Amino acid sequence: MRYAKVYAEDVEAGQALPALVKGPIQQIQLTRYAGASGDFNPIHQDDEFAKAAGMGGVFGHGMLTMGFVAQCVTDWAGAGSVRKIGVRFQGLVRLKDVITCTGTVVGKSSSTDGVHLVDVELTAKNQKGEKVVTGKATVALPSRNG
Amino acid sequence: MPIQINTALKGKEYPPYTVTIERGRIKDFARAIGDTNPFYLDDRVGAASEFGDVIAPPTFPITFRDEGFDTSAFLAELGTDISRILHGEQEFELHRPMRPGETYLCRPRVADIYEKSGRTGAMAFVVRETAVTDTQGELVATLRGVTVIRL
Repeated sequence: MRYAKVYAEDVEAGQALPALVKGPIQQIQLTRYAGASGDFNPIHQDDEFAKAAGMGGVFGHGMLTMGFVAQCVTDWAGAGSVRKIGVRFQGLVRLKDVITCTGTVVGKSSSTDGVHLVDVELTAKNQKGEKVVTGKATVALPSRNG
Repeated sequence: MPIQINTALKGKEYPPYTVTIERGRIKDFARAIGDTNPFYLDDRVGAASEFGDVIAPPTFPITFRDEGFDTSAFLAELGTDISRILHGEQEFELHRPMRPGETYLCRPRVADIYEKSGRTGAMAFVVRETAVTDTQGELVATLRGVTVIRL
């Protein structure tokens, strides 16, 4: 039996993924993410630039928040399990925000090759309860019998 | 005055480019997110795993997007600049885990351009897709990003 964090048999629609809390967001994390990702848009680094662009100040990379949401999935399903992940960026993440990522299992497909695809819905909210990211992911989980 | 977006770019394909995954880049990327999963960070865990090495986190392919693609030139071609854009949506289809040392071919194209009026005014949506294949030509991942341009 292949080692897994979670097996397909243990998953049911409606089940909640453990919540993942990230932050408070600091400028240094946005600078670090810029370096790691290659996205050096000054709107995430330079408050004056962000204000001049009409954004009211610096905000976090959407992709950083997507990274948090993806971590919520892999902390539960295991690294390498994600087959698809898609998000919509709903709101800006500001400095000092605390982001809570949650997920719910919405469906499970049967499979004959020992791998089951499980669909989860994902949400990230800030400390005010405002949605900053919503999305979906599909993970491949092994079977206890496979 | 609202700006005009060059919708003629819809369907345009851009020159393919290669990327090679660096071990340190995977680790920097995971650490920047604050994700300390040992399957990304610990070479010994990776070597003992079913993958045979550390692997990249699911959103890592975003690092390929601008590796051989000039986003500033693309925005200028569209008729806008970096101060007007927001990331609207992003999707990754991942066909297999990515490991250090692997080289991929990235093929970017503009899948769609459309305009809509929202509560914050008129906006254009530019859908950019990048297909990522390995040296055997097998599809490894597809990136699909929607850039929102405030007109």
